Amino acid sequence: MEQKKHWQSFGEMNDSKAYRESVKDEFAEDLSIEKETGFLSTPTPRRDFLKYLGFSTAAAALAASCEVPVKKSIPFANKPEDIVPGVANYYATTYVQDGDVISVVAKVRDGRPIKIEGNELCPITQGGTSARVQASVLDLYDTARLRFPTINSNGKPTEATFEAIDKAIGDAMGSSAAVILTSTETSPSTKDAIAQFLAKHPGSKHVMYDAVSYSGILLANETTYGKKVIPSYRFDLAKTIVSLGADFLGTWISPVEFAKQYSKGKKINEKKPEMSRHIHFESVASMTGSNADERFLHRPSEAGAVAVALLNAVNGQSVSVSDAKLKAGIIKTAKELNANKGAALVVSGSNDVNVQIVVNAINEALQSGGKTIDWSRINNTRQGVDGDFAKLVDDMNAGTVGALLIHGANPAYTWCNADKFASGIKKVKLSVSFNSKNDETTQLCKYSIPDHHYLESWGDAEAKTGYFSLMQPTINPLFKTRQWQDSLLKWSGATTDYAGLVKTNWVKKLGSEANWDTELQLGVVSPKESGTPMSVIAGTSYNGSSVAGAVSAISSAKKGGKTELVLYEKVSIGAGQGASNPWLQEMPDPVTKATWDNYVIISPAMAKTLLDIDLRNGGEADSYEVNTPKKVVKVTVNGKSVSLPALIIPGTHPETIGIAIGYGRAKELGKSAEGVGQNMYPFSSLNGNTVSFVCPDTTIEKTDDTYKVALTQTHNVYTTPQGTRTEMMKEMSLAAFKENPRETIEDRKKELGPYGGLDDFEKQGTIYRPYDKPGIHWGMSVDLNSCTGCGACVIACTAENNVPIVGKSEVLRYHEMQWLRIDRYYSGDLDNPKVVFQPLMCQHCDNAPCENVCPVAATNHSSEGLNQMTYNRCIGTRYCANNCPFKVRRFNWADYTGADSFPDNQHQKWVGQLDAPVFEMNEDLTRMVLNPDVTVRSRGVIEKCSFCVQRLQEGKLKAKKESRPLKSGANNEWDVKVACQQACPTEAIVFGNVNDSKSAISQTRADNSLRLFHSLEQLHVLPNVNYLVKVRNTEEAEAKEA
Amino acid sequence: MHLKYESQLREPLVYGEKTYHQVTEDIIRPIEVKPSKLWYIGFFISVALLTFGVYCIYRDVTYGIGQWNLNKTVGWGWDITNFVWWIGIGHAGTLISAILLLFRQGWRTGVNRAAEAMTIFAVICAGQFPIWHMGRVWLCFFIFPYPNTRGPVWINFNSPLLWDVFAISTYFTVSLLFWYSGLIPDLASVRDRAKTKLRKHLYGIVSFGWTGSTKHWQRHESLSLVLAGLATPLVLSVHTIVSFDFATSVIPGWHTTIFPPYFVAGAIFSGFAMVQSLLLVVRRVYGLQDYITIGHIEAMNKVIVLTGSIVGCAYLTELFMAWYSQNKYEGYAFFYSRANLFSPYGWAYYGMMACNVLSPQIFWFRKMRRNVTVTFFMSVLVNVGMWFERFVIIVTSIYRDYLPSSWSVYYRPTIFELGFYLGTFGLFFTCFFLFSKYFPVIAIAEIKHVLKTSGESYKDNMGKIEVQQPEEFAHEYAH
Repeated sequence: MEQKKHWQSFGEMNDSKAYRESVKDEFAEDLSIEKETGFLSTPTPRRDFLKYLGFSTAAAALAASCEVPVKKSIPFANKPEDIVPGVANYYATTYVQDGDVISVVAKVRDGRPIKIEGNELCPITQGGTSARVQASVLDLYDTARLRFPTINSNGKPTEATFEAIDKAIGDAMGSSAAVILTSTETSPSTKDAIAQFLAKHPGSKHVMYDAVSYSGILLANETTYGKKVIPSYRFDLAKTIVSLGADFLGTWISPVEFAKQYSKGKKINEKKPEMSRHIHFESVASMTGSNADERFLHRPSEAGAVAVALLNAVNGQSVSVSDAKLKAGIIKTAKELNANKGAALVVSGSNDVNVQIVVNAINEALQSGGKTIDWSRINNTRQGVDGDFAKLVDDMNAGTVGALLIHGANPAYTWCNADKFASGIKKVKLSVSFNSKNDETTQLCKYSIPDHHYLESWGDAEAKTGYFSLMQPTINPLFKTRQWQDSLLKWSGATTDYAGLVKTNWVKKLGSEANWDTELQLGVVSPKESGTPMSVIAGTSYNGSSVAGAVSAISSAKKGGKTELVLYEKVSIGAGQGASNPWLQEMPDPVTKATWDNYVIISPAMAKTLLDIDLRNGGEADSYEVNTPKKVVKVTVNGKSVSLPALIIPGTHPETIGIAIGYGRAKELGKSAEGVGQNMYPFSSLNGNTVSFVCPDTTIEKTDDTYKVALTQTHNVYTTPQGTRTEMMKEMSLAAFKENPRETIEDRKKELGPYGGLDDFEKQGTIYRPYDKPGIHWGMSVDLNSCTGCGACVIACTAENNVPIVGKSEVLRYHEMQWLRIDRYYSGDLDNPKVVFQPLMCQHCDNAPCENVCPVAATNHSSEGLNQMTYNRCIGTRYCANNCPFKVRRFNWADYTGADSFPDNQHQKWVGQLDAPVFEMNEDLTRMVLNPDVTVRSRGVIEKCSFCVQRLQEGKLKAKKESRPLKSGANNEWDVKVACQQACPTEAIVFGNVNDSKSAISQTRADNSLRLFHSLEQLHVLPNVNYLVKVRNTEEAEAKEA
Repeated sequence: MHLKYESQLREPLVYGEKTYHQVTEDIIRPIEVKPSKLWYIGFFISVALLTFGVYCIYRDVTYGIGQWNLNKTVGWGWDITNFVWWIGIGHAGTLISAILLLFRQGWRTGVNRAAEAMTIFAVICAGQFPIWHMGRVWLCFFIFPYPNTRGPVWINFNSPLLWDVFAISTYFTVSLLFWYSGLIPDLASVRDRAKTKLRKHLYGIVSFGWTGSTKHWQRHESLSLVLAGLATPLVLSVHTIVSFDFATSVIPGWHTTIFPPYFVAGAIFSGFAMVQSLLLVVRRVYGLQDYITIGHIEAMNKVIVLTGSIVGCAYLTELFMAWYSQNKYEGYAFFYSRANLFSPYGWAYYGMMACNVLSPQIFWFRKMRRNVTVTFFMSVLVNVGMWFERFVIIVTSIYRDYLPSSWSVYYRPTIFELGFYLGTFGLFFTCFFLFSKYFPVIAIAEIKHVLKTSGESYKDNMGKIEVQQPEEFAHEYAH
């Protein structure tokens, strides 16, 4: 049958070639997109419409959802062996600043040092740090650091290369004599470099100058012991500690070491409660005085008389002091000292040689030498003698100094007669400053060759005879700076650089390069044996012949006028080194709780007569407290006067006022130092060979002005007209504790009795079922007895957790952000109260009132007992902060960190204008200090202590990787230490897993069950932080005082 | 022949022997004529305040809550004080419209429309504070329970702030419905009288095609009753829940079980005071003395003296409990921070006592209750006092709580904090001015229910006849 042909078109019928070609493709038309006209110019035919629609929708969706710009991270072309991104490296090095030597470990993340910890291997500090050590890492990233060497011509510093500057200086100096002026130098290698320089330039000499020198002690020791040195003090071996105005826990010689020793005597064994006893004589309330078991007040001009009286009393002679209270105190003190001969220690903060000679006589009488004072190990950290420097200044003015090379010292600011120094330096042909900042002295120098920061340097230090600490760089130098020792070596024609010198010296000393590597890793080189303490310096003997002369000199000394002025160092700022560090400026002073200023400390008695403020009057006290403007007083000494706000600080002698030095810095030191406080150094005076920081004849007048002082704590007692708040703070005397050790526990039982008692309170105090706490449960214990209030933890917390700086004007508005604060309370006598410090961080309540009020569940409880804050979830209602009974929650009131999603909202004028230091902290350079493990919080969210959750996580992971339970302090093995705990020089803070019965925290709680209490326990918030009752070694059984 | 008994005790609810037409005329006239100069001035001031308020919020959102003087201890200050204050103001409206409707209080018709409008506007104002006091207001949607991709992260139903969200949004919705459903017949009246096309069109839309048929009226009445029933518990619940923000906390001075009834009484107290302030002005400006009569004013003054005394009792109870509990923290909050004239905020406490407890006692005297000047003065005083009350509760409790280390943080507002408050006044009065221009400020339909016109005209026409003897009447009738 013939097949019929069906056709649709003529083309199909004819079956042409063109037709066959066209039916080969599924679609008869060409895809326009495949045409050669190019993609963009293609038409959109009907058939492609859906295709285009789909494509463009997908493209738009893609483009819209990828709003975050892609940032390419570039991997290492050659990965350095030891750097793993995200994993920190730790390098042992040494914090050195003006003689202070602290062995530290620097935490380095991705090449940046971000945190300083104490080196636990160091036998001197044993891992302790101070606020200033903690803050030193920020100095590395200080924007005000000098970035290159300069030559000052006609008052204008111009950048120069090292070659040019070396040549210029070489030409200028030739081989003529020079004076190297440094602050106390403890480094053997530096001394080697200096020696090489001195050898090359005959007639040259090295002068050490300390802003706050210990010339009095050095010279007195020279007189009585034959050598100009400071011995090692052993506060840990002393049962009775008497301090005549020495702030040994805060600023005196080696406070970290002393705090560590001191705390050993303050720890209580509950089964055998014994404590050292600390009696303090002072004129202006200090941190150490605040920690004393007993404090007596005297006028600063009486310091010598008190020492003499104590000597007489110790020797059983009659005491002649006019003040009856003081006299009784001295007699009592002498009795106690005599009862503890060989375990007693008397120290004095006076810079008067005669006073120190008398103190030496007292210690001799008490047989302290070889026991609490060790002459076999010399403390090298303060060697400057003011008289030497005064002579240098005279020489400079006489034009006999050809060249002056300055490192560390800043006499143009710190010398009592700074103008004389300034005029002297003009007569010096060649002046070179190695200081790393354009400080007051550097500005006067012709050449500036900035030194490295210690975290960029090689070096070593010998804090005490035989105890070495090594220094290694943790980062490449950020700027065009050079270690000053390199300059010395270069100018003395040495072929090696300083790093080479250090290494050569140490390889020689240690025997091999392998030993050097090991020791460098450990960071410290210490004598194998502890050695026997010596009662005198080897080869000398005690010579008391000068005592009589000293006593008569003291008794004929000028009596003080109506009011006396004491210039003191602040724990945070020191002699001025901390002034350019915003963390330190914003750290509340332990004694006054003030930030960002210096001020006149006056006593409540003087406040009443001078300012008409009676703190005993509730209304007046209230109005003094709540109003930030404080009355300004004018202080005049010898025609020099200064106007500063007055703060009323109990524990100050009624006729004495105190002002801190270290303020009023040049604006070149940075945004934090600029315009803060007034310089008080001009009020100090040279008295023979020593500088005196006491002005016995001062006039103080009230002015009509007021000045705002940023205080972080304004109310200072926990006694209210409605009762004493013993639930939040407990303190007692040792006598009371011995009498009834169960007093605290009985108190708690009584308070909680109706709600199930101590054991059942958690269950009975609520209508809800208690929940299980399996696994890890974090807890913290704070021993109020050990805490000295020094503030190291505050700065450690700031550094670890990226806590923002808010500046003075925001602190004034009570907007400070610190996660950890140290509350300071007074009790007892208003004029000379007892003081207690209570570090307060988030208490991580197991039944937290903040958690259930957050509408969006931004704060919640972890299964490990942490009260967690979810910044991303927080909408900022601040309800949690209101409902926190401890008031530890901090709100980001403004864009302090620049982390906000609103651009350019930090600059505005009207309300809440931010200060320069806030912007300073947001500079790219400064932000390098941020801890990458911790979120930088943005504006509008609440933040607070997290128990360093990033560390906990790291520790847990470490334990997990090694398939073992987490170690938290059993046998002193730690996977996790929180920042405040690690920084604390007195080991007051213990942290760990309370579910592990062997952990340090469980042990601490078990061992101290009689002193343990939770703040505001009765609220049933179930804090995971506990405190141990402050026990004071006083005889009176001040029954549950205050 | 006395066919009708006339009560001598009750005053008429509307004066002036109005006819139905006159009522419509009187109330709708202000809508149809050009507003007075006074209206323009007032409106301009309100808008200016509102604009400043918007600027203050702009700063708050851009620069942070640091634009206000709150701090680490005082996390809430003027913001939440103003929030509670405005919420309280709103209460009178709901009380008048809902509870008095259920209790068949005829006098409410003269004031309910304005009072309800006031409620709506006050709640709008109140709502601004919890919204803009958030640190990150752009994330405020986090507080709504909606399915989300963030985990999903759910809201925290334990938080009183969340209860607030529900309580206030419900309250606002119901109040708005109530107010609007009452407006419909009146808007239809405006529509029917409209002379321009646009006007007719717009009022036609908003009156939902109301024709006034019996079916419409029947449904309208049922709806009113249902909404009244819904709104009644809200009068009690909203402020109760607002008080939970404080009552459920651990802060001495906040943690008080007396708060719910005390807050509700306080709210009604301040609400009526605000109604007085507004209506005394409105009746004067629009000449509505016949509708908002001295009888109304007196009735509301009675409520004020009653609720003021309840609030006073609550204050004294708090003090008693602070002593009786022998809790030192409570004791401090009440006896030192508050009831102590020399403490930093003593003035606020005694200001509150004077304004809220002592001064309303003047209304025990009938002469004072019926005195317009005294009433106006008192109404302002009460609202100042109630603002103090909220300020005292919020600020004096938290500025000195448990740990004295965090104490003594003196708190005063910044210009922008103050501006935000003024801004809500601007918002409130802008709304109120627009309302009084475009809506009948008195419920026309409802006032007609209580109009005794028929009785009055009966009296007019039949008065002569009534006194006649039947024989006389028969005689006249026969002729």
